[in-house]
Amino acid sequence: MADSKKAVFRIVVNGTMEAVFRELTKTGEPQGAVFSSMLTLEAPGLVRGRRMQMRTVSGRHAIVVGEVVEHEPPARFAHTHRFTQHDDPFCTVVYELRKVDGGVEVTLTVENIPAGTKTETEMMRGGDFILKNLKSIVETGRPPLGTRLMYAMFGALEFVLPAKTKSEHWPL
Amino acid sequence: MSPAPLKPDEMDAVFAALASEPRRRILDILKKEPGANVGRVCEFFDIGRVAVMKHLAALEHANLVVSEKAGRERRLWFNPVPIHMIYDRWTTEFSDYWAGRLARMKYRLENAPVPLAKAKGGARG
Repeated sequence: MADSKKAVFRIVVNGTMEAVFRELTKTGEPQGAVFSSMLTLEAPGLVRGRRMQMRTVSGRHAIVVGEVVEHEPPARFAHTHRFTQHDDPFCTVVYELRKVDGGVEVTLTVENIPAGTKTETEMMRGGDFILKNLKSIVETGRPPLGTRLMYAMFGALEFVLPAKTKSEHWPL
Repeated sequence: MSPAPLKPDEMDAVFAALASEPRRRILDILKKEPGANVGRVCEFFDIGRVAVMKHLAALEHANLVVSEKAGRERRLWFNPVPIHMIYDRWTTEFSDYWAGRLARMKYRLENAPVPLAKAKGGARG
């Protein structure tokens, strides 16, 4: 029986485990691999159970809310994930890093995806986007041109985000 | 600085894996049924489990399929990342738009069949 509630994406990045892990867990600056979002925590430190959000660069909108499930640098980071603009249940995002010939194998697994929801659609589209940007950032220092253009538009178009995503509705 | 592409040997592995109709069908199946086990994939073929396993090995080598052990079975997922990177290599922001429109027009006009419709095990498209 197929499991329709899990998706797996994988890529090999020519870099160190530490560099890749840092890109996925850094706070205080936009995560170029993850939609240029700001990983924002209720208190400093990625600690199991700590609430976290992925906010816009301005901080005015919280796009994703969740909490840290695992943080084992530089090999594994997992968190729960829910889009604030959709009334869907939480899913779980897991990043696993493994040293291989030619660099670091990064596996992005999304578990417990609510089937038939907008969350499912967005998570299926987002996995390869995140990994290819991650590879580009670690190997060249920045995301591909198309991604950079998209991120530039994000700032200009932030006003179109639904009011329910405003950070004031999602206090940490 | 250009975006980081697939390395030549990685690209060769992807094209070699895709140059086979059974392997392309396996990707169709896994796209439709993520997490299917090897036995489920074999249901769609008349070529035997060993042959299917060889095709799966080629797909895994190309990073197009990711497998996980779950108890006594192996579960399989289609990994679209390598195909996306090939797409990025030869596509610009402008050709993406126009090529996409032309491709969709072709599908509409030709009423393109769903590949799985012919597969053993029933249509799921």
